[in-house]
Amino acid sequence: MYYTAKKNKFLKVCSILCCSTALFLTGCATTGTTATSGTAKTSEVDPYEDFNRNMFSFNKALDDYVANPIVDAYSWVTPSFVQTGIGNFFSNLKDVNVVLNDLMQAKFMQGGEDFGRFLLNSSIGLGGLFDIATDAGLVKHEEDFDQTFATWGIPQGPYLVLPVLGPTTGRGIPGGILDVAANPASYVGKPIQMLALLNERANADSSIKIVDEAALDPYVFTREGFLQRRNHLITDGKSDLLEESLDTDETSDKKKVTVTLDSSNKKEPNKKEFKQAVDGFTETEKSFNATSQVLKAASEKLEKLPKSK
Amino acid sequence: MFHILKNKSIATFVCLFLLSICFSNAHAQEETAKQVVESFQTELISVMKQGKELGFKGRYDKLSVAIAKSHDLTKIARVVVGKEWAKLSEEQQQKLVDVFSQLSIASYAYNFKSFSGESFKFASEEETMRGGAVIHAYLLIPGDKDVKFDYMLKKKGESWRIINIIANGVSDLALKRSEYTSILERDGFEALITKINEKIDNYSKQ
Repeated sequence: MYYTAKKNKFLKVCSILCCSTALFLTGCATTGTTATSGTAKTSEVDPYEDFNRNMFSFNKALDDYVANPIVDAYSWVTPSFVQTGIGNFFSNLKDVNVVLNDLMQAKFMQGGEDFGRFLLNSSIGLGGLFDIATDAGLVKHEEDFDQTFATWGIPQGPYLVLPVLGPTTGRGIPGGILDVAANPASYVGKPIQMLALLNERANADSSIKIVDEAALDPYVFTREGFLQRRNHLITDGKSDLLEESLDTDETSDKKKVTVTLDSSNKKEPNKKEFKQAVDGFTETEKSFNATSQVLKAASEKLEKLPKSK
Repeated sequence: MFHILKNKSIATFVCLFLLSICFSNAHAQEETAKQVVESFQTELISVMKQGKELGFKGRYDKLSVAIAKSHDLTKIARVVVGKEWAKLSEEQQQKLVDVFSQLSIASYAYNFKSFSGESFKFASEEETMRGGAVIHAYLLIPGDKDVKFDYMLKKKGESWRIINIIANGVSDLALKRSEYTSILERDGFEALITKINEKIDNYSKQ
């Protein structure tokens, strides 16, 4: 009985993965550009804008009328230190996925740090309730499958707003599914998952408030903020925006302002992604060389031991 | 005759000397990009500290001076509407610059209204390919994650002016440009101005 249930769950995950891969490939085939938000033409980044706007409105209504009252009640009955503890607990579980993606992006040093974070928080931090690793100087990194795919050179695909789940991209869908699969919290039962979602939504409350207050067009604000943030995480902060991809130079005084990227710039992110992938493999090669040298040195020392006797 | 000439040459020398002092003083008063950012941050923290006493109007007045000294709001307003700028009449352009400036100041006055130990920390400075400068800094918030702020500056005449702020990888200029161009394309100029005025009203009421 237990075996059948497990098998069914496995089949379910497989079928979701197959569907998502199909969706993902469709997405990749649709657009080949990686969005550097606010700079490329909207239609290229967001070809399904009308659909997305409807989904955005649906999600907003759902959030206002369903999620928000529940979150308000949750925040009211839950002291802030408990919320922090719950947030830390789920964040610690997510670190498993972070380590996995560190390794797949050939960030071995960072992977070591993140694994250290996980061990420290899981043991002395009482199962992750306390984030003592940050106090100890181990900064939390944000890595996921979408970022890994990006560093492998897989294009972003179109921007999409999914019902309930919110903003994502063609590449982000399979990435998100794998993130869920690699998160231990996904296997502990529905009430715990609900608590994770609730706590996450409660923590996002201030961000949602900012969108409501600052945005002239909340849909565009959310889309651009989301895509820029993703781009920032993928490039580890070395975003194009610092290199003035936003052309702020006025070409002349005759009411003419250059503001759009030229076509050569549009293809640059792809080149960059490939370069990142190549750099990743070079890093892997270096680390293998370093490991082999360490092993060689160790074996030499071992060889010397009997001789000294 | 010689006496007059001598007096004239002394007078000329004195004039040149005074002029050179004036010039060197003016030159010395020009702030570096880093100084422009740091002066603005200091003013912002000072306004936050007096936030409650000043009220929205007081914060707005103080910040409007600080922002005018440190930001190039005309250029920012120009960039946020992209190629639509060229399609606007001179009157519309001026109107846009005015309301955009008011919104920017109001947004600062609304969001930086109280102080709970926040401080800015300079990280590094770099020059950009096109003669601009980027100042990397962090906003340190007690009990919370640091927020990375990257200030992009350009020279306006002889002075450095902020034209963009990137907070944790999200560019204010790019975000606004997407919004503004989208509204201009979808709903037109008047709708944009109405929406900006609504936001200014909301900020000032709260």
